[in-house]
Amino acid sequence: MNAVMGKRGWWVSVGSLKLTLALFVLFAVLVVAVYLVNRLDGWVLAVPFGLFALNLLAAITTNPAFRRQGGLLVFHLALLALVILLAVSRLTYLRGQLEITEGEWFDGRLTAAEAGPLHPGHVTGVRFRQLPFTIEYHPGRERGRTLSRVAWRDAQGRLHEGVIGDHHPLVIAGYRFYTTHNKGFAPLFRWQPAGGGPARTGSVHLPSYPAHEYRQALEWTLPGTGHRLWTLLEMDEVVLDPARPSRFRLPRDYRLVLRIDGQRYLLRPGDRVQLADGALIFLGLRQWMGYTVFYDRTIPWLLAACVVAVLGMGWHYWRKCAARPWRAEEDD
Amino acid sequence: MEREIQLLWAAVVLYVLAGTLAIVAVIFGRKPEKSLQGLLWSGLLVHGVAIVHRWIRLDHGPYVTMHEILSSGVFGLLFFYALAYWRYQPIRPTAAVVLPLMFVMAGWMLLTDPGDAYVPPTYDTTWLVIHILFGKVSMGGVFVALGIAGVILLRRLAFGARWFAGLPGDRRLDDLAYRFMMLAFIFDTLMLIAGAIWAQDAWGRYWAWDPLETWAFITWLVLGFALHLRVTLRPSPIRGAWLVVAVFVLSFLTFYGVPFISQVPHQGAV
Repeated sequence: MNAVMGKRGWWVSVGSLKLTLALFVLFAVLVVAVYLVNRLDGWVLAVPFGLFALNLLAAITTNPAFRRQGGLLVFHLALLALVILLAVSRLTYLRGQLEITEGEWFDGRLTAAEAGPLHPGHVTGVRFRQLPFTIEYHPGRERGRTLSRVAWRDAQGRLHEGVIGDHHPLVIAGYRFYTTHNKGFAPLFRWQPAGGGPARTGSVHLPSYPAHEYRQALEWTLPGTGHRLWTLLEMDEVVLDPARPSRFRLPRDYRLVLRIDGQRYLLRPGDRVQLADGALIFLGLRQWMGYTVFYDRTIPWLLAACVVAVLGMGWHYWRKCAARPWRAEEDD
Repeated sequence: MEREIQLLWAAVVLYVLAGTLAIVAVIFGRKPEKSLQGLLWSGLLVHGVAIVHRWIRLDHGPYVTMHEILSSGVFGLLFFYALAYWRYQPIRPTAAVVLPLMFVMAGWMLLTDPGDAYVPPTYDTTWLVIHILFGKVSMGGVFVALGIAGVILLRRLAFGARWFAGLPGDRRLDDLAYRFMMLAFIFDTLMLIAGAIWAQDAWGRYWAWDPLETWAFITWLVLGFALHLRVTLRPSPIRGAWLVVAVFVLSFLTFYGVPFISQVPHQGAV
């Protein structure tokens, strides 16, 4: 009997409202710490979230106030659900970046990604094709609307085409692809091996434009060979005129400076560089678009929990305020 | 733009007249409430015309530049306060506490650059407007609570006790202040939810701990802490009033301080 009472006493202490106050303080301190100290991992916040969940659960099960006040109970249950959903979200989410050249298909590979340990990893099977896109600019190079045409196959293999952009992601298999400010120019090459093997076509993405307008150069390795290449895009025109409204587009007149094995070449579309083990042909310039991808199946449930929490809170406070008149003079 | 500036100046003059009248009224124990309301609502009307004029001219709401954030902030706080003033007669002398604060904020607004700015594509959504409206109501609730808390604190001083003798007792005022804090908490929560929906659509994440998100969350925690503390430890009206002041200071720093030190309200996210 005493053991049961002891356990219950311990559980009541876990649900103490004074502990809730301490947890509020701990939470705020840790949020400030994570914000100020770069080295501190965001996972530190799992501690107050977990403690809050325990405190909430204990309070709901032991504090009779929750049985008397429906709104309060609904609010706290929704908060508890929110904490659990956030935990599920952190375990299963994916957030990453990718870049695609106009005309190419996304092959499921991300340039950077972070994911929860239980993320299913289906992104490798997602495919969509980058079609032409436009990005408007206001005078002063203030970025405006982004309209990106894409094509994709659904689960039945049917091909779809649509326009995505600001506030309109492409959603495939739960993965949400968002356009970003990140975009630029991509020289397109064909590599023809000297032995007569199959030719390969591919592009390299120069640094983002106009963020790196004066650094349109890149060093890279020709796949399947040991050649290190240094590539620089030269153009004489202003693609995005700060003085007037404009659109991100390919330059009309451009040259590509290529340095391979100590040799320097100046290439225009169609030019080729003959090397001992093959020929490299510059096919021209394309645009590339940067995307972020986000996967989180808990989003609608998180929203539902938030809405229920607010409704519960509103109900509770409404009843609380209705119990006594607002007009101070009436009962003072 | 010149017309907008003229209208803004006219509104500020009307606000200053209302505030001055409020101070004079509590000092001399008068109740020029109709005149004060007339000045306050006239100021809001003129200010509202300035905001609408700019909105139509630039085709975006007052939430991009610091000038616009302050302008809509002053308008929102005073609009909410004017409603409370009209509805809850006993708290009317609190105008002498809160309106002078608006002098400072309106002065800051007039000192900022009123130049035009383009609305970033990520701001072009109804969810942003909803998010901001919830935020204004939340801040308005804390603002009214601040006025009431200010009276509780000023009554500790001899002149304050004299000036605010006609108001209800501290316990009743404390209760009223926390009703507005509850309202602020509900709308602060709604603001965070609407902001998360906007952020998900705009940047592909509902929460990223950017400076404004971080401080908005800390404000929510402190508001929750204040409401919880009141239920749990039942502090005295004076301590409760100090908590309201702390919440207002933090809310103010979040809503106006972070945008001031950032290039944009959600720095790095545009």
